[in-house]
Amino acid sequence: MDLVIDILRALLFVVIAYAVVFVAALVNIVFERRFLAFMQDRLGPNRTGPQGLLQSVADAFKMMGKEDFRPSLADPVLFTLAPVMVMIGAVAIQVVLPYTGGLVARDLDVGLIYIVAITGFTTLAILTGGWASHNKYSLVGALRAAGQMISYEVPMILALLAVAAVAGSLSLGDLVALQDGYRWLVLYAPFTFLIFYIASIAELNRGPFDLPESESELVAGYGSEYSGMRFGMFFLNEYAGMTIMSMVVATLFFGGWHGPGEDALVFWGVHWVGLLWFVLKAYVLVFALVWVRLSLPRLQVDQLMAFAWKVLIPLGLVNLLATAAVMLWVPRWRLGLAVFSWLALLAFVGLFDPLLKRRLRRQRERLPVVNA
Amino acid sequence: MYDHFATPEPDEAMKLALRRIEEARARGEGSNLDGIEFNEVVVNMGPQHPSTHGVLRLVVTLDGELVKDVIPVIGYLHRCKEKLAEKRTYYQYIPIVDRTEYLASINCEWAYVMAVEKLAGIEVPRRAEFIRVILGELMRIASHQVAVGTFTADLSPLGTAMAFYTFRDREKILDLMEEVTGARMMFNYFRFGGVRYDLPPGWVEKCRDLMKQMPKLIDEYESLVDDNAIFLQRTVGKGVITPQDVVDYGITGPNARASGVPLDLRRTRPYSVYPELDFEICVGEHGDVFDRYKVRMNEMRQSVRIIEQCLDMLPRGPVQNSSLRAPYVIAPPPGACYVGQENPRGEYGIYLESDGSRYPYRLKYRDPCFCNLQIFPKLLRGNKIADAVAISGSIDLVLGGIDR
Repeated sequence: MDLVIDILRALLFVVIAYAVVFVAALVNIVFERRFLAFMQDRLGPNRTGPQGLLQSVADAFKMMGKEDFRPSLADPVLFTLAPVMVMIGAVAIQVVLPYTGGLVARDLDVGLIYIVAITGFTTLAILTGGWASHNKYSLVGALRAAGQMISYEVPMILALLAVAAVAGSLSLGDLVALQDGYRWLVLYAPFTFLIFYIASIAELNRGPFDLPESESELVAGYGSEYSGMRFGMFFLNEYAGMTIMSMVVATLFFGGWHGPGEDALVFWGVHWVGLLWFVLKAYVLVFALVWVRLSLPRLQVDQLMAFAWKVLIPLGLVNLLATAAVMLWVPRWRLGLAVFSWLALLAFVGLFDPLLKRRLRRQRERLPVVNA
Repeated sequence: MYDHFATPEPDEAMKLALRRIEEARARGEGSNLDGIEFNEVVVNMGPQHPSTHGVLRLVVTLDGELVKDVIPVIGYLHRCKEKLAEKRTYYQYIPIVDRTEYLASINCEWAYVMAVEKLAGIEVPRRAEFIRVILGELMRIASHQVAVGTFTADLSPLGTAMAFYTFRDREKILDLMEEVTGARMMFNYFRFGGVRYDLPPGWVEKCRDLMKQMPKLIDEYESLVDDNAIFLQRTVGKGVITPQDVVDYGITGPNARASGVPLDLRRTRPYSVYPELDFEICVGEHGDVFDRYKVRMNEMRQSVRIIEQCLDMLPRGPVQNSSLRAPYVIAPPPGACYVGQENPRGEYGIYLESDGSRYPYRLKYRDPCFCNLQIFPKLLRGNKIADAVAISGSIDLVLGGIDR
């Protein structure tokens, strides 16, 4: 009997995971397009359904109706496999995500490591698809994706290690429990959050790190040869990834499902109000992603690598060391960590941009004045 | 064959690119990435590519992300414009000139009309000259808005929202143009010895209102990117054109001025009423991508100044030389002339030769974009591919003018 219940439970969570991916993608596409339009002083899609809400549903049907096309020189197996594989990351990562109290597939002891391992899958699919397409643009895009993933995985892991040092555990359940009572990690480890957030944007291949599909250089990057629903799978994953990654960030740094009135409505062992808070937090972060994408132009490949290896990774190491030191030797560790982290955050935000600009201005002044 | 991606039968440009790789290897100037075979690939950018602005085709040899070689291929928009001139009367040809550099079509018309007027010795009433200057400068603003907007879009279409803001305000200018000429892009408005209609009532006030807003709007565009570290990183010191290059390649317009060459035909070879107007030639310091962007921004401000002065000075009177009426049948005396005019992209010249008949004997364009394109191989070589896109965006080409 227990086995049957376990199997049913597993099936339920598989359905939930896929539902989250598809619903999130469809919602996010409209969400992003409307918000971009709002910020860019234009209307955006507003014809299909009320306020254009059904636009992505219409798009999905359009894509399904398209010809299932494969270029003649493409590798048939890998070309087909890549769009299937691309969903694995977004779906499988939800195994450890506590949607709310009592609603988690399996709270693994190695949750944080699992997250890092699984996020790599998307890049693997991109690499496979880009290589199998037999197109130079796709190949360049795929290689960029791989290089970017390898570079940004490191600061991401460094940030996660700092989180693990604070929690003393790799389990996401423990981490959420630690943040109960509004002691959100972001409040006393904002610097760790910043590093993780930047690295996660790079993992998502979203602007300003959208090099793998930089549309102004590489046509559509790794997806150049994909059309119809195969392209749709890449597209769905990209947009679902926004929500999934925001959910991870919300769990790690924003107290997960904890919020006012979280115990108000509990039945079947599930905190339903907590679910609401979780989604709300995730969507505030999704909005931030949209905003970042709109505000910053794309980095260039060498600048992207330099930012990871020369800025984020040293900062991540310093942050990890400082966090570990505070946890070891400071008795009131929350206060100690907060002091360090906020100072580090302010210093980074206050210094990095002006210093960079000063360097650029100097560089500009050093340029030979050609004025005849 | 170094490129296992190459199509079975590469065309001539591809073959040239492949041959150049072979030659470079023979000279011992192969890839920087030693030890990897097949590392130089020939990529065909265009004619259908999101950032080549039209149907420009660049055959690019890539060594990883580095651009080793560029071969521009043009002619995909060739419409025999020079030959068409020989089969049409002078008057019938005006709308065709519009379609060369379609982002600044009224300036193209102006150059052609000036050439015919010079050849046939036609006087233009003063009011018509002022109207021409106003419309020409309005079009210069609109054209620079497209140039700057698409250039920032080349860096990242969504990352800088500027393209949307510039296109929003370009609509206001096109609305003004539509009210005068009846069209938004292909105006067909200038006539030999004047313009087609007078300004509609109330137009001057509308134009004045827009010109009052314009500096604020330009400040708004600048505020979007000028202070952005990523934007500066992508533009400062990239794609430098030296003054010697300007002379060598015949570069004109904002691209030449950004390199510190104060070449502006409105001042150096004045035409129309420009000598009476007060404006500055915007000059850059370093000739890099950032300067080219900045010069365009400043030129928009100067154009606003010119238009405001013209609106104040606008005289009363006829807008058409009374000796000429539709259908404008003219047969200039045999001879030839060249008229250069400061188009938003540089010196737009028209060489016109008449044999005394009602049809031009020969018409030849000197298109600024065609000359500016010539520096592409030199400019893009050695840059990253992302920079190459940004640099080509900053040169601001219009293929209608290059291919004719």
